[in-house]
Amino acid sequence: MKLTINEVAQCLRLPVTTVDRWIRQGRIPIQKSSNGYIVNESALEKWAAMYRLPFSLPKKVNAQPQKKRLENLLSAMNRGGVIYGIKGDDVETVLRGAVEKMQLPLATSKEKLYQCLVEREHLTSTGIGKGVAIPHPHDPLPDTFEKPVITTCFLEKPIDFNAIDDRLVFVMFILLSPSIKIHLHLLSRLSFCVRDNAFVEFLKTSPDSSAYFSKIADFEKQLDRADNS
Amino acid sequence: MRVLKLWRYPANWAIFRLDDRLLLIFMAIIVGNCSGLASVILTRSLLAMSEWLHHLRSHWWVFVLPAIGAALSSLFLEKVVKEGAGHGVPEVIYSVSRYGGLLRFRSSFSRLISSCLTIGSGGSAGPEAPVVISGAAIGSNIAKYFSLNDRQRVTLVGCGAAGAISSIFNAPIAGMVFAIEVIVGEWKSVNIVPIAIAAVAGTEISRILQGNQIPFSHLLFKIDLLNVFACIGLAVLSAAAAILLTRMLRSMHTISHKLSGPLWLRAAIGGCAVGIIGLFLPVVLGEGYHAVEALIEGRYSQGLVFVALASFAKIAATALTLGWGGSGGIFAPCLVIGSLVGVTYHHFLSLLWPSALWANEGYYALLGMAGLISGMLQAPLTGIFLIIEITGGYEVILPLILVSAVTTTLCHYIEPASYYLKDLVEHGHLLRPGTDARVLTDLNVPELIERDCIIVKQNMLLRDFIQIVQKSHRNYFPVEDDKTGNFLGIIHLDDIRPYLFNPGMYDAVFLGQIMDTQVEVVHPGDDLSEVLRKMDINGLFSMPVVMNNRFVGLISKATILDQYRKELMVQTSH
Repeated sequence: MKLTINEVAQCLRLPVTTVDRWIRQGRIPIQKSSNGYIVNESALEKWAAMYRLPFSLPKKVNAQPQKKRLENLLSAMNRGGVIYGIKGDDVETVLRGAVEKMQLPLATSKEKLYQCLVEREHLTSTGIGKGVAIPHPHDPLPDTFEKPVITTCFLEKPIDFNAIDDRLVFVMFILLSPSIKIHLHLLSRLSFCVRDNAFVEFLKTSPDSSAYFSKIADFEKQLDRADNS
Repeated sequence: MRVLKLWRYPANWAIFRLDDRLLLIFMAIIVGNCSGLASVILTRSLLAMSEWLHHLRSHWWVFVLPAIGAALSSLFLEKVVKEGAGHGVPEVIYSVSRYGGLLRFRSSFSRLISSCLTIGSGGSAGPEAPVVISGAAIGSNIAKYFSLNDRQRVTLVGCGAAGAISSIFNAPIAGMVFAIEVIVGEWKSVNIVPIAIAAVAGTEISRILQGNQIPFSHLLFKIDLLNVFACIGLAVLSAAAAILLTRMLRSMHTISHKLSGPLWLRAAIGGCAVGIIGLFLPVVLGEGYHAVEALIEGRYSQGLVFVALASFAKIAATALTLGWGGSGGIFAPCLVIGSLVGVTYHHFLSLLWPSALWANEGYYALLGMAGLISGMLQAPLTGIFLIIEITGGYEVILPLILVSAVTTTLCHYIEPASYYLKDLVEHGHLLRPGTDARVLTDLNVPELIERDCIIVKQNMLLRDFIQIVQKSHRNYFPVEDDKTGNFLGIIHLDDIRPYLFNPGMYDAVFLGQIMDTQVEVVHPGDDLSEVLRKMDINGLFSMPVVMNNRFVGLISKATILDQYRKELMVQTSH
């Protein structure tokens, strides 16, 4: 493979001007001839090792998908599904009811998941106000979930969730994610949606899943626009 | 055509491509021969000149001869080749420091001619430095012709100097050591090997053309412990002489520069003064090799006062010749002054303690020469090897080393920079390889600029700005004028922190109101040491680089450290 002077600079993680000066000063084994530079890759590599300079060829294959987009709400919600009419009078029973009805990968222990959720509730309530709660485990569960899952649970009747604004909670978004990063990403998007009062009113009607998902899709578009601007 | 092209780029020949050592050795032979030849030419023409002018010595007006010679040489340098006066060694070191050893082609002969005029007519100067610059210029131009890079060119410049000194003194080791110690300043085998080869080539050329003879042969000395200890006193004396010579040269230079009038007239005045001294003390005239010979062989029979006077006269004559615009080096005058000082010291000792068994005058003359050379050049090894080789007196090696070491130390104590380097050090032009100054000079601002800054406009609202902050990786945001695009100031994240959590301010504050306009800026052409000094004084870690009122990028200490380290690694480790 023939390296150009720009590629040499990339390999050494140096500006091209520095490499150019080094060639002029004779510090780097590259010769200048009447029509360009003569680069000997193996000699260059040996030289870099001798001076303990970092030297690695630019990776062309991995260069493309540099910024992997994080998954957004809609696919996670689709995966988790919507559950209506969850019975119960306190946090524990509601959570147990929701976990029982959730469609989870086979390997998942429902008991363990329930324990995680309750443990987190004991730290502080996940009721974020306006009658919405977002229960989630304290630590992500990378072993059980490869992809994030959000299950929307509408309760039969509002219950006291110890929410920050003391309002009764009528809807829960159970958020299960494989990593903290995805968790925070989804949490910030979800809270953006909940900030909208009209959406909260809409949720109170326990809408059917298609209308609900289309609303979420609208929010996603808004968010994406804000991100890309 | 292709063959011709290849011929000009020997670095691309298959045998030289992987390692340039062979190439450098090959080039060193050529350079050594050429510079050796140059020094033979100068020696021969000096001889011819002195023979030609010999019959004029009997006239009463002979004292104007040095004046005419100095004036002609000054005219030649100023009008014909347009080069400065002086001996040339600092120019060579300067070009090695700053320009990778680039020297003009005309330097390879200009000093030969001018110094031949100065010295041949009786001016007190040496032919060595002119030969050094000629040899160095020959090396540099050969390197340029074959498109070699800076490092190779510096080595060839050293080769030229080594060949010249080796040839003129018939002293290969001295040439080699001089080139490395004084000119190149870097003891690495990549330099030493080609320079040694060039020294051999230069010496061989002069031996073929002039025969192999030791310039100043001497009688055998009987050296006992007493004489070894006595040489310490001589070291002090020769250090004093070296300091006096340095100071005189510099003060003469300043005095002559205060005079208005053409350069050649000043040189003529200096030459005339030398001629007048020469009327009374002919020992001061010319390069003085005959005097050195006589002193070492003990044929110089004058008494203490006369010899002491002659030492002062030679110092004065050298200062008058070189300080007022004559052309030549200080090597030969140093040898003469050194041997005069040595003989003075011998006479003084004999007077003080006549019964002691002192070694003869030649011994002290020889040590005096070593002292003066080491003191003036502050290059002890050059002094030791030169004297050993030009006198063939290996039996004096122990006191010789002592004198060289003590004189160098004393001179260094009083004058921290040697005569050659003083001007360079004062102007910050002495950049020895592997030093901080060298690395900082090689790195320049454009190589260190980081360009991934987001530029914002003066009339942007804080609300819009916060959205930009969300996406940026940096803490600094340069502000530009909306219309002209001129750089106005910079916003650091710290500047907006108080307003960041106060949404009431989001629509009330423009960036123009919070930016810092009193920022220190850097220009792409700035010296890096200056940039770092500014950063240190103001406690900054980043500074904006601005060119023609436009923001170019940021320069930060983190990047400087990164690049500095890489540069240092490449320049030093081997």
